[in-house]
Amino acid sequence: MSASTWLAEATAVFVKEWRSELRTRYALNTFGLFAVTTLITASVALGPASLAPVERASVLPVLLWLILLFTATAGLPRAFVFEEETHTSTALRLAASPGPLFVGKAAYNLALTLALEALVVPLFLILFDLAVASPGLLALALLAGGFGLALGSTLVSALISQARGRGTLFAVLSLPILLPLLLFSVQLTRLAILGDAPGQTVEALLLYDASLTVASMMLFPVIWNP
Amino acid sequence: MRKALLYGLWLLMCLVIVGAFLWAPIAKGFLGESSRILFFHVPMAWTAFLAFIAAGIWSLLYLIRGRGVAHDHAALAAVELGLVFCLLATVTGAMWAKTMWGAFWNWDPRQISITFALLFYGAYLALRSSVPDPQVERVLGAAYAVFGLVMAPFLFFVAPRLVFSLHPQPVLNTQGKVEMESRMLWVLAASSLAFTCLFVWLLGLRRRMLALADRIEES
Repeated sequence: MSASTWLAEATAVFVKEWRSELRTRYALNTFGLFAVTTLITASVALGPASLAPVERASVLPVLLWLILLFTATAGLPRAFVFEEETHTSTALRLAASPGPLFVGKAAYNLALTLALEALVVPLFLILFDLAVASPGLLALALLAGGFGLALGSTLVSALISQARGRGTLFAVLSLPILLPLLLFSVQLTRLAILGDAPGQTVEALLLYDASLTVASMMLFPVIWNP
Repeated sequence: MRKALLYGLWLLMCLVIVGAFLWAPIAKGFLGESSRILFFHVPMAWTAFLAFIAAGIWSLLYLIRGRGVAHDHAALAAVELGLVFCLLATVTGAMWAKTMWGAFWNWDPRQISITFALLFYGAYLALRSSVPDPQVERVLGAAYAVFGLVMAPFLFFVAPRLVFSLHPQPVLNTQGKVEMESRMLWVLAASSLAFTCLFVWLLGLRRRMLALADRIEES
């Protein structure tokens, strides 16, 4: 397969995902409402002033990533589970080859995750009255962390779509994969808020993203056609 | 022959226990006799690590070498045994931490990595038990275990280096030096050998059980 058809196939999957999403707007609605609900709960409970200044830098990054993680867990597994539920996965197996299919689905999930971050992070900064010392580092943490979150969720979604009890299984399978990623992301967000030098955390996060990419590209064809 | 090997293993284990408590000296800088747990804790952790790596390799072989059931049985048995040894290493580690650091659990980097390993391979068993089709179950399990092989360096080598740790340096540390009294080293080496042999023996038993269960299912 030439590079251009490969890319065209991936784009076609990506466009198809958005088209079926915009028909129901299921993921966008779930994402938005889930994120805003958890955010408001956290904000009402803690508010901008109820944390001591020293505690803010250690507590708030964890809170931000927990909101992002749980919202992602509510929406991202749909990528492949949806295909099984509507009995369209066989048609999809015939229509697209595994590589482009995975890239298209992962790109769709990445777009959703970035949209989620664009909604949650500004609101979070406003509601907690949080000043970020190095915004560039925060953007990097959100981008690299979001990339890993989307990619890992897409792979696990493909794994669980063929199993029973998908909802609980997704959390059980994805958390061990995503925990190192979340630890690095939380650490980087904390350093961005404080304005400290990031050290090796950036390398660790990017390396994690890279190995996640390679491993999922190699394993997806096996998972998709067992 | 098989019986002689088993008696040999039993004798070796007995020698390790006697050596660990009576022959080896206690290490400097440790409270009381607490350093003696090293002769059991370290080989348990080592065996768990070995089991998980072996499971990853067998899963990879299963996927690329024509999907033979024997490779899958070996991988499954290795994960199950790895979890047992991993749990034992976690418990012994927590006991030692209570003595030395004052708390059973304080999220030292090594405690984080071992928790990840427990969660990950626990999830492997959860995944396998929830796939209805046995053929699909084997493939998905193998894919997840190979994924574990990719994650292992982060869990065991990158994450513990990024955070300050109170855990004693591993025997094979970054400086490449062995900082241990020679009698302690002897007991530790013997114990590691004994635990590895124990693992190999149990693995063989479990593989036979899985193969027999398959035959019963077929007939």
